[in-house]
Amino acid sequence: MPVRFLRNASELADVSMESPLPVAVTNAKPIPADPLLIATTTVTTTTGRDLMENTNAETPTLDNCGQYRKLVWFYFRAGSATTTYRILARAADLSGLPLGTGWQQLAQATLPGAANEWGRIEIPTTGDGYYDQYRIEVHRTDGANYTLVSKLVGVR
Amino acid sequence: MSAERITRREMLKRLIIAPVGAAVLTTLEVREAAACQQRYYEPYFVAVLWEGRTRCDSLWRNLTGDVVPILPTVRGATPYDRLYWTGYALGNAPVNVNMRVWARAVDLNGMPLGNGWRAVGQATIQTPPLRWFRVEIPEGHWDEYRIEVRSATPRLVYSRLIGSQGYWKE
Repeated sequence: MPVRFLRNASELADVSMESPLPVAVTNAKPIPADPLLIATTTVTTTTGRDLMENTNAETPTLDNCGQYRKLVWFYFRAGSATTTYRILARAADLSGLPLGTGWQQLAQATLPGAANEWGRIEIPTTGDGYYDQYRIEVHRTDGANYTLVSKLVGVR
Repeated sequence: MSAERITRREMLKRLIIAPVGAAVLTTLEVREAAACQQRYYEPYFVAVLWEGRTRCDSLWRNLTGDVVPILPTVRGATPYDRLYWTGYALGNAPVNVNMRVWARAVDLNGMPLGNGWRAVGQATIQTPPLRWFRVEIPEGHWDEYRIEVRSATPRLVYSRLIGSQGYWKE
């Protein structure tokens, strides 16, 4: 005998995959957003230098990020020098090796904000990520070296 | 004009199978089809992050009542895509409350990455007396938020801050 319940206040419906019983979830917890990296970077004029101050173009700033729909980059910049950032991404095979050399460039722009200001950048800006590796490069194009404190959070 | 006595059940059946006029159909708007293609946000988890009352006055005051700019209203808000602040202001005068929202990120020890806050936004809530209001804070995943209120006319605001996680659906 099918189990029936009152749906939408007036409709009697059989319980099925398409019309499951309404339930109130108790003790549910939010899906965590993971802090993936907290780094302090001295922003210089050197191009191709990532948040870890690494200049090897093939080294990712973040690895094993395939589970994240989006990364959110929070930062606090101590200086006002005009700064260019570049966000690169790529996929890896089951061994963690990149499918090929090089990167797909997701973004390149001027880092928003002035001295002693906060910023927030979503990676990617639109749509979903799910890339395995990311490389985030910053360099200034004028002014003086300054400190950039970053936090990257992975959102599922 | 002739009358017919029918049962309630029979009347319902006739109503259900009654034909819809073609003339009506041709004038139906087609906006619904486009609406289905618009992306919309569907929350799958919500949590109450803070609930209480705030005595608003001429000072920029945290929802928790303090006027110390370094103190957050909520901590541990990282998982949430967006926040909703829903409230109700007591008093017979029209509501005219200024609000502003600040946010910041913290390191693994809970220390802010830098000084001050990021200004997420500010607004003025103006409603007739004894009405509900709701403010959506779409910039999510910050670790800490500070929500400040100010009102030239002192008043009491009951409010609740909710964090939500959701998906964008097509």
